[in-house]
Amino acid sequence: MSDAIIDIRHIAKVYEMGNEEVHALRDVSLTVGANEYIALMGPSGSGKSTLMNMLGCLDTPSSGTYLFNGQSVGDMSDDDLAEIRNQEIGFVFQTFNLLPRASALQNVELPLVYSGAPRSERSRRAEDALTRVGLADRIDHRPNELSGGQRQRVAIARALVTQPSIILADEPTGNLDSKTGQDIMALFDELWRSGNTVILVTHEEEIARHAQRIIRLRDGLVESDQPNEFHATPL
Amino acid sequence: MLRLSEIGESVRIAVDALRINLMRSMLTTAGIVVGVVLVVVMGWTIKGLDAVWEQTIGIIGRDMLYIDKWNWAGGGNWRKTRSRKDITLREALMLKERMESAEMVIPMARNWGGSIKLNNRTVNSSIQGTTYEYGNTPAGVTIEGRWFSEVEDLQATRVAVVGYGIAKSLFEDIEPVGQTIKVNGHPFRVIGVVEKRGFLFMDFIDNQVFVPLSAFQSAYGFYGRSFSVAVKAGNDRLLDIVRDEAIGHMRDIRNVPPGEDDDFSINEMEAFDAQAKTIRTTIWMVGMGLTVLAFIVGSIGIMNIMFVSVTERTKEIGVRKAIGARRASVLLQFLIESALLCVLGALIALPISQIIVASARAILISGLEWDWVSVTSPVIPIDLLLIAISVSAIVGVAAGFLPAQRAARLDPVEALRFD
Repeated sequence: MSDAIIDIRHIAKVYEMGNEEVHALRDVSLTVGANEYIALMGPSGSGKSTLMNMLGCLDTPSSGTYLFNGQSVGDMSDDDLAEIRNQEIGFVFQTFNLLPRASALQNVELPLVYSGAPRSERSRRAEDALTRVGLADRIDHRPNELSGGQRQRVAIARALVTQPSIILADEPTGNLDSKTGQDIMALFDELWRSGNTVILVTHEEEIARHAQRIIRLRDGLVESDQPNEFHATPL
Repeated sequence: MLRLSEIGESVRIAVDALRINLMRSMLTTAGIVVGVVLVVVMGWTIKGLDAVWEQTIGIIGRDMLYIDKWNWAGGGNWRKTRSRKDITLREALMLKERMESAEMVIPMARNWGGSIKLNNRTVNSSIQGTTYEYGNTPAGVTIEGRWFSEVEDLQATRVAVVGYGIAKSLFEDIEPVGQTIKVNGHPFRVIGVVEKRGFLFMDFIDNQVFVPLSAFQSAYGFYGRSFSVAVKAGNDRLLDIVRDEAIGHMRDIRNVPPGEDDDFSINEMEAFDAQAKTIRTTIWMVGMGLTVLAFIVGSIGIMNIMFVSVTERTKEIGVRKAIGARRASVLLQFLIESALLCVLGALIALPISQIIVASARAILISGLEWDWVSVTSPVIPIDLLLIAISVSAIVGVAAGFLPAQRAARLDPVEALRFD
């Protein structure tokens, strides 16, 4: 599996809560290859948020190894992790997490600001990303001038703009009505079809059905990791 | 490691953050405003003093020594000074004869309590008897008419040159030259007006009437009078030589035994320099003390509000970190915000300082009639502006450091979870 983007082996995460140790992840191993479409599922407390933070390089494991594109994440400094997040990972959050006072374009440009791209290149690439999510006509709108679905599209454009190795979406439809949620899922489907690697974290079976592979966690362990039997069924 | 793109972004965010909380920002920065006002007003005052001082020295002459019973700058033991023997005309003339290094040596007699009368108007002034040579010193430059001549000097002609202050207070609209005034009862014809020389500590200099020494004697006599001697060295470099020579001769003439203190004073601008320096230092120290205090109070306020700002924007920091902001990026963002907050303080302070400076100047000049204040600058000098703004920015960076560091070190997972 040397061509895997993500290769985690026996990782565990232990938090100290007072004098109690909380084992958020006990022993998780998995690999993610290019252009996979994965749903990460599990009840609350199963460790799926911790695993997502780990996969997104926001957090490092207490034990075990995590290789991202062959590089060991556990040995990285904060700034190295920031760089991986900037270049290789696109986050999509449940609550969109856009900067309220910045326009759609400025929000999408932000990762490029941190990667040091020149101004003209930033706006060109951000415009392309917004066009891809169908918001070419909304680039100067601020988040409060956009609907929930449009905000999530801006967030997806922000995740796409650096052309990351994976797109990591945490309950991306959790704050949307079901019709809008379906539109957003259609967008993820399309991104996957055009070659992106997508990992969805969700507790909704209906959302998970979009994925090609479903990983279920329980009590910090992988309960099941199977191809999605419904996958062929379009929504 | 910092990227240009991030600096632009940081400035944009900081300006935004200040604009959103404009009222809060302005209140927070009040301490800085006070600090900057103090720095600028103090700086202006010191610069003004320097300008006044330079002006004065230019007029009085840096190469002039005045040998007198009294120490003009005060200082020393007053009782002891008072008990000194008067300097007689004979001593003054002997000094004039013996001095070799000086360009000019001019004996002078002074009558402090003179009354000058024109028609029915009377003003008080001091009366100076001096020689025609005094007209060649910087202190004897006339703006109207002329100084008295050697002939008038020899013949004890009753002619007078009046100081600028007298010309203004006594004559008002009347042309002084050609008028006859009564100087302590004796009529003198006014032949000239001395240019304005008065300055900070020596306003009396403009309230004098100069008459030939010979005329002074014939009118008021020389008995019981202490003379002074004005010595013009010719240039600054000769001053030490001239001073040493004058002291030697005077001690000899007045029979001061070796080891005893001089029983006369050498008055020169340098002595006033020391006095001016003391005043300058005092203003500077008091001003600096207040400024530092204001900046300390101000930076505590800034630090506090920056901690609030970091807490309020924890989630935003989390998002930024998630999409690739490094520690330095976050640190920079908050340092710039803090520095801008202080610069905002400076920008508020500058018009306030300008108003203070302009009104102080106007009040001193027209209210107190301290004309010499007009040599001070009516506007805040540009270097003070730059100093004030950069000091504020530095204070901002210093005050913002701890909060910015807290922001930079936030754990992205924790920060994202924050509501």
